[in-house]
This record gives sequence, C-alpha cells and structure tokens, in this order.
Amino acid sequence: MDDASRREPVELTRLLEDDPADLYENAPCGYLSMLPGGRIVKVNRTFVEWSGRTAEELLGASFPDLLTVGGRVFHETHVAPLLRMQGAVREIALDLELPDGTALPCLVNAVELRDDAGAPLLVRATLFETTSRRRYERALLAAQRAAAEAEARSRGLHQAVSELAAAVSVHDVAATLVERGRAAVGAVGGAVWLLPAETPAGRRAGRRPGRLVAQSGISPALRSQLERLGGWGARLVRPGGVRVVPLGPDLERAEPGLAAVMAAERVDALVLVPVAAEGRPRGLLLLVRPADGDGELISLTEPGTAADLAAADAELLRTLGRQAGQALERVWLYEETARQAARSAFLLDAARLMAAAAGVTETVERLAVLAVPRLADLCVIDLLTEHGWTRPAARHADPARQHLADRLREVHLPTSGGAHPSVQAADSGRTVWVREVSEGWMTRIAQDERHLAVVRELELAGLVAVPLMAEGRLMGVLTLGAGRQRGSFTAADVEVAEQLALQVSQVVDKAQRLELETRTSHTLQANLLPPAPPPVPGLQVAVRYVAASQGADVGGDFYDVVPLPADGTVALAVGDVVGHDITAAAVMGQLRSVHRVLLADRPSPSAIIDRFQAGWALLGLQRMATALFGSLDPATGQLRLSSAGHLSPLLVTAEGAEYLDVRPSRMLGAPPAPAPAAEWAGVLPVGATLVLFTDGLVESRSADIDEGLAALRAVALAHLGAGPDELCDRLLSELTGSHRADDVALLALARV
Amino acid sequence: MSVVARNRVRISGAPQGRPMLFAHGFGCDQAMWRHVAPAFETDHRVVLFDHVGSGGSDLSAYDPVRYGSLRGYADDVVEICRELDLTDVVLVGHSVSAMIGVLAVRAAPELFGALVMVGPSPRYVDDGDYTGGFSRADIAGLLDSLDANHLGWSAAMAPVIMGNPGQPELAEELTNSFCRTDPDIARQFARVTFLSDNRADLAGVAVPTLVLQCSEDAIAPEVVGRYVHAQVPGSTFVQLAATGHCPHLSAPDETVAAIRGWLSVPAGRTRA
Repeated sequence: MDDASRREPVELTRLLEDDPADLYENAPCGYLSMLPGGRIVKVNRTFVEWSGRTAEELLGASFPDLLTVGGRVFHETHVAPLLRMQGAVREIALDLELPDGTALPCLVNAVELRDDAGAPLLVRATLFETTSRRRYERALLAAQRAAAEAEARSRGLHQAVSELAAAVSVHDVAATLVERGRAAVGAVGGAVWLLPAETPAGRRAGRRPGRLVAQSGISPALRSQLERLGGWGARLVRPGGVRVVPLGPDLERAEPGLAAVMAAERVDALVLVPVAAEGRPRGLLLLVRPADGDGELISLTEPGTAADLAAADAELLRTLGRQAGQALERVWLYEETARQAARSAFLLDAARLMAAAAGVTETVERLAVLAVPRLADLCVIDLLTEHGWTRPAARHADPARQHLADRLREVHLPTSGGAHPSVQAADSGRTVWVREVSEGWMTRIAQDERHLAVVRELELAGLVAVPLMAEGRLMGVLTLGAGRQRGSFTAADVEVAEQLALQVSQVVDKAQRLELETRTSHTLQANLLPPAPPPVPGLQVAVRYVAASQGADVGGDFYDVVPLPADGTVALAVGDVVGHDITAAAVMGQLRSVHRVLLADRPSPSAIIDRFQAGWALLGLQRMATALFGSLDPATGQLRLSSAGHLSPLLVTAEGAEYLDVRPSRMLGAPPAPAPAAEWAGVLPVGATLVLFTDGLVESRSADIDEGLAALRAVALAHLGAGPDELCDRLLSELTGSHRADDVALLALARV
Repeated sequence: MSVVARNRVRISGAPQGRPMLFAHGFGCDQAMWRHVAPAFETDHRVVLFDHVGSGGSDLSAYDPVRYGSLRGYADDVVEICRELDLTDVVLVGHSVSAMIGVLAVRAAPELFGALVMVGPSPRYVDDGDYTGGFSRADIAGLLDSLDANHLGWSAAMAPVIMGNPGQPELAEELTNSFCRTDPDIARQFARVTFLSDNRADLAGVAVPTLVLQCSEDAIAPEVVGRYVHAQVPGSTFVQLAATGHCPHLSAPDETVAAIRGWLSVPAGRTRA
C-alpha cells in the first residue's frame, strides 16, 4: 500500500463528515422549502445561484412567481393539486424565469410535509437543471411532430394522386383539388377556376377568363369579391409558385372591398395555387385560411400577422396543382373523345330529322330543339324570306331561361350593317366565332337597351354564327350560344355548327323551292277554274274546290256549269287529270277550254267524250283524265250523263240517295274505244239534288273507294232536304279531314 | 357505451337530496373534489365524473371534433344529468368547467337549479380593453410546458394509468396519476380551455349563480372574476381568502362554507 492510498481514507472521512449545512447549501441540486401557498421560506445557495437572484429576494417570494407563465399555470393546475392529493410529485418539468428574461429548464421533485391531522405544513422541493436534456427532448419532440406531419402530408398527397387518377371529368378533378387542398392547409374554403381547354394563342394567362368549376366553404360575398377581381381573381394571380395573400395593410390598400369581406368573415389569408400542366397555366386553386386553424378557438397568431405557409405545405400544394394539371390534360382528352362521338351522333340525328322534315318552319323549330343542349345552350335561327328577316326558332337549353330566348325573338332581328355576329355572318357570308363574351362586347353588339338586358341575362361564354347559304344565295343565319357552365365553343364545336348549317341550308333551299312551286300551282289552278256559276232559273247550284293539304301537291280537278242560251239547257262537267302537279293543273285548264268550245255545237254528253277521244292526239296533252259530262234541262228535268272513267254521281231525293248507273267508257287519253261512249238518260225530279264529285271526296289513304262512296251516301241521307250549299259543306266537313291527300271538286244541283 | 362508464360517474350521498354535480377543471380529475364533495353527502345526492380524456374516463370516446370546443364537454354534462334523471341540479364547476357549466345551463336550463363557478374565466387571452391575464405567447408557453411534462407518458402504460376497473388500486399507486393523460388529448384540452371565448354566453345564464374568487389566483385573477359576476345576471360574488387556483384543495372548509352559505339563502336554494 503506498502513501497515496494510505492518505485517501483520511480525506474521504473528512469529506464524509462534512458539515450537513454545507452539504445542503452547496449540493449539486437546488433545495427549497415553502409554505403550502408557495411562499419560499428556505433556499440553498445552489438554487440562489441558479435563480440569478439574492437569497433576500427569494425568501418570502412566491415560488410559482419565479416560473415562466406556462410553468406557473402547470404548477397551479397540476403540481399544487398533486401535492395535496398524493403528497409528492416527481419529475415535473418547470422553467425558472431568470431576471434577464431567459428560462432555466429544471426537473422538480417535491414532497408535502403534513401534521398529524393531515394538514399541510411545508413543501420541500429539489430542482435539477436540465438545459441540454430539455433541448434534446424538444428536438426529439419536434422531429417526432415533423415526422408525423410529413407522414400526414405524404398520405394526403398519395390519396389526392389516386383520386385524381380516378377522375373522369373536369369537375371530379376540380372537386378533388378543392377538398385535398383544403385538408392540406386546414382551409375553411376552397375554389377552383379553370381556363378553357383550348385557349387562343398569344394571350396573357392572367387576362383570360376562368370558369368556376368547383367550390366549397366560400361565402357568396367572398366569391363575388373574387369574381369582381377579374373573373377568378386574375388580378391576384401572378406567375410563379404558391402565394399567400394575407389580410393586412397591403391588401387593405390595394383591395379594400376584398379585405373588408375577409375581415368580416375572419379570413386571415388567401392561398393561391397555380394549376398547371407542363408549365402551361390551366387554372387556379384558391384556399381560404381562417384567422385561426381551429374553428372557433382564439388563434395563437397575433391578429394581422398571418403566419406564412410552411415550406412543406407550400411544396405539397404546388405538387397538388401540378398533379391536377396533368389530370386535367388527361380528362380533357378523354372528354374531347366523348364529345367527338356525341357530335357525330348529333349530326346523324339532325340529318334524320331533316330527312323527315315537312315545312321550313317546322324543320328549323325541331332542329333548334335538337341543338340544345346537345350542341349549345342557345340556338337561334334567322331566315331571309321575300318579306325580309324572320326568326322562326329561338330555343334555350334551360327551360327557366326559355323566356329570354323568346324575348330575343321580340327585341332583336338581324339588320344589315350591325356589329352583331349574326349580322356579320349574314353580311360577310362567313362563320363568326366569338370566343369571349365581355361586358364591352355585349354593349357593342346590342341593338338597344332591351336587347342588352336580355344578352346580359343569358350569361353566355361564347357564340358562333354561321350563314345559311345555297348556291351562293344567303338564306339565313344559324346562331349558337354557349353558357358559362359549358364554356366557350371549341374549334370542333364550330365545325359541327358549320356542318349543321350546311344541312339546314339544303333543307331550307329545297323547301323554299317547293313552297314557291306549290304557291304557283295553286295560283294557276285557281285561275283556271271557272268563276262562280251564273244563276240559272229553276236550279240551285253549289260548287266547291278544295286543294290538297300537303306540300306542293296541286290537283288537276275541275268542274264547269254552263247555261246554253239557245235551248235553255245547262251543260255540266266534273273531271280529274292524272297527277298532282303544275302540269296536271295546266291540262285541266286546257280540257275546260276545249269543253266550252265543243259546247258551241251543243253535242250530247257522249258526243263530247267521243270528240275528246278523237282529237286527243291533236291536243297534245300529256296526261290522261277522267270526266263526267252532262246536260240538264231545268224546265223538264231531262238529264243526260256520260262518263269517261269517272265516278257516277249521286242522286238525292226525298225518298233516299243512290248512285246513278252511268256506264263509264275509257278515260280521256286512253287508247280509243271500239264503241262510242254510252249515255245515261233520265229525269231529275223537282226537289231532287244531283251530286257530282271527284275521287278526292271518297278516297283516302286509310279507306278504299267503296267505303268512301258508302260514307258519302250516308252523309247525304243524314241531311235529306238540305240545299246544295249546305249539302256541299256537310260533305266536305264530314268526309274530308284537315289532311287531304288529293284535291276535291264538288258540284251539287237541285231542281226547284 | 353508457355515459356513466364513459365519464366514470360516481354517485354518493343522500339519494333523495338535491343533486350536486361536481365538474373538475383542466389538469386533474374528479379526485380534486375529495375534500369538498363528502361535505355535501349528508343532504345532497353527490355526483362526480371525469371529463372524457381525463382521469378514468374512456379514452376511446375522445373525439377531436366533439371535444374541439367546450360545447362537446357541456353536452356530456347534460347527458349525465339526463342519464341519471337529475333535475334542479346544483352544478359546481371549477376553472374551465365553470364555463362548461355556463354552456350546459344554456343548452338545458330545465335540468339545472344553480351554478357555482369556482375560479371562472370566460377568456384567458387579453382582448382590447378586456383583461384575461394572458398573452398569446403565454398560452404558447403553456402548451410547451405541457409537452415537456408528457415525455414520460408511455402508450403502453395508458391502460393502467387510465384505470383498470378490476384493479383500481393499481392506478392510484402511479406517480402523478390524478393528472396524467394522453399528451395529445391534454394538449387539445389545453387549447380548448385557454383559447375559448365564452364572454357572450355569460348573459344567457338563467339560474342563480355563485362566483367563487380566490386570492392571488394566477390563472383567474380577481378582475376576471368580477367581470364574470358583472356579466351573469343576478349572480353572487364571494371572495375567498384561499390563495391559488384550487380552493377546493387548498381551503376545502372555506369553499364548502361559501357554497353552503349561498345555497342556504333563497336565491341559491330555489330555481330562478
């Protein structure tokens, strides 16, 4: 054993026998004793040194007052109650607040000394300084929280990406973006504005109008403020990354209206996230951050000092915006393909509709109905007729807005020289495509205030006007409007509109030509028929001529009643030229003229037929005809009839009604008959009525001629005693409907 | 699950007595009332409970949305009264539970006959002319303080700490057991406690109300107590000699006497 080791026990013993007071004062931890209320009654030197105060300052002071505010609250809510309830606390982390304002982290153990009745007498506490341990723990906790946040972000992004991948519509993409964006930064509201899929080249991104596609949690007041700032807050958007626009002096100066709404709704900041694909701007995600991130709780952030977005959150939003941009590209492609198919189907349906078309007006009306909403939200068709412009169709896809389309028919019609696209299309003969509808544009094109009001209310995003042309002739204009929800028309939409206009032009052209021909035929026919028969003593005569109801059909039906002055007899004729066109009408006119010429020789009815047959080749007529000729002596009732393939007349007497048995010879123009035409002779009694008619009265598409003849007889029987005029009216009204396939000529004579 | 189990409701005292419901504040659990509640058992039906997330409540019932504001806690108080079929209840709320009591009374005035607010504060954060006693930075410091004291929390110990019905004594043995809970829940409860603003609710309290104000209360200073007294119509203000924020622990006799004294006068004994 050497000297050193021999000395050691001596010093150790001296140290171990040291003064307990010294041990207390200079212990490697702080000691303090306090009354139950916290008043310090004893402290050791170590604590005095740590505290940065003098022993005199500490004695009598309240222990909780030496702590930071957080520590004081924790002492009151946890330490003091625990000491009372369980008599001791261990490992309590409290920070001493030093006079220089810094904090000294400590761990505190304490015991409560009690009297026999359990009443508290004194609290003894030991304190250990834990500065570096606390720093380490804080770092650990911060890392733990950062990891949890990173995981939450990653989870959110992952979910967003998979939802975006599953999106099949632009709305899906926008809705996902709003919800994920809100969740990412605890926003109370969000909205997505998107640019049109197809944007005209050479325009600045910030100037194009966006379309609000999805939103949630944004008040109408805030939305209207943002709309006011250029459709989608374009003025707030600058190129670059995610931006935070805090409510503060800058915003209050630049946008007082917006700032006021934000303040009223306790919105602290707007977060603007660009939606972009391959660097091309596609739209904007706007998020509304509340004054605090926690609903109705008071924010820990001082008012007006909106905390900036955490870098990781900004990065997350930027990624979200890019992912949404790519999803949009994909969805747009998908939707464009679907739209292309829909366009083809639409044109096919339009072609079918027009193939089955009846008149011009009906066709364009049905076409307008077809065009909305499949091609557009508004469809207006103007036609240029011989009387000027007409607007036969104006339809809106939304029944609630149809009244606006109706008003358009009243307040606006294209007039030459205006700025309205339909006028420009008519004047230039070219398609006019309006890609953007602005207030200035509406003011420019409106005809007057009333028109402007309607145009505003229509809330259109785009317009296309296509002239209707055939063989270089302007026939009208087709104008289509797209609402804001649909968005401006694309080039493909315009192409469909042009194809549709081409089809419409052809139908209108054909229909207009047909209508012209019909009108000409009817005018001609009306001129070829005889005027009202002259009064004949002893006879009452009624005649009717009714044209076919459908299309350009015109008949070759005719009748004639000619009093012959030489012997007082009356010549009668009813006939029907084959065919329903202008030629038939012309042949009928010629037959009637020739018949009158023949009457100069007063031939018998059968002789008239024979002469027609003999001279048919000389007349050079291209159509055959049926006819019934007759002569009647009003004085005696002597009646002679002869038929060239024509229906027999009906004799109506007081006793009944029956068809006369007039044996028909061949039709006029048929190869000559071997024998002369037969003739029926008899007497028309006083009071009896003879009805001569053409097959239009008894033939229809739904019934054969025998049924028609029976019906005619039945009607006549039902009205025995009626005069010729009344009988003619009854027959027409009861035997022919509003749809007549053929002309009707009707002649009734009554002997009185 | 039943409200009784969810909130670890404990009933004692005179079955026919006027019900007294004691609601603990932020920090610990119903054990806080151990020196006060027994004093009322002779003539009251005494009901104690733990707020969800505290003490021996069912932690799985903690819903961050429901308990994201004091209304969720107030709804629990109302549910307890309904479950136990209590009426004319004397609701004694300490600290944040004084405000929870205000919300409960407003939500179901038919259940309550009196409200005792011990150390109340409707808003801790200063706001313009209003003095709550704390700045936002102070509250942020408090949340840090909580973090520092929850490092010892172990999820594995949670079932033991939160009370094992079969072995209640086990929970009692654990250090600091009355005030331990899941750190995330404690942090959220602290946020809801110290960041709520219920000043506007005070005027709607339609039952006789007693405001008990401690001396030298670092959490709810006298000026705040006076404010509450001024805002609650017809309330009674009693200044206690007891110091600190927990008179029911530091001066139970004075606290009991103040409540009893007030309940014995007509305003506190009968319904308004």
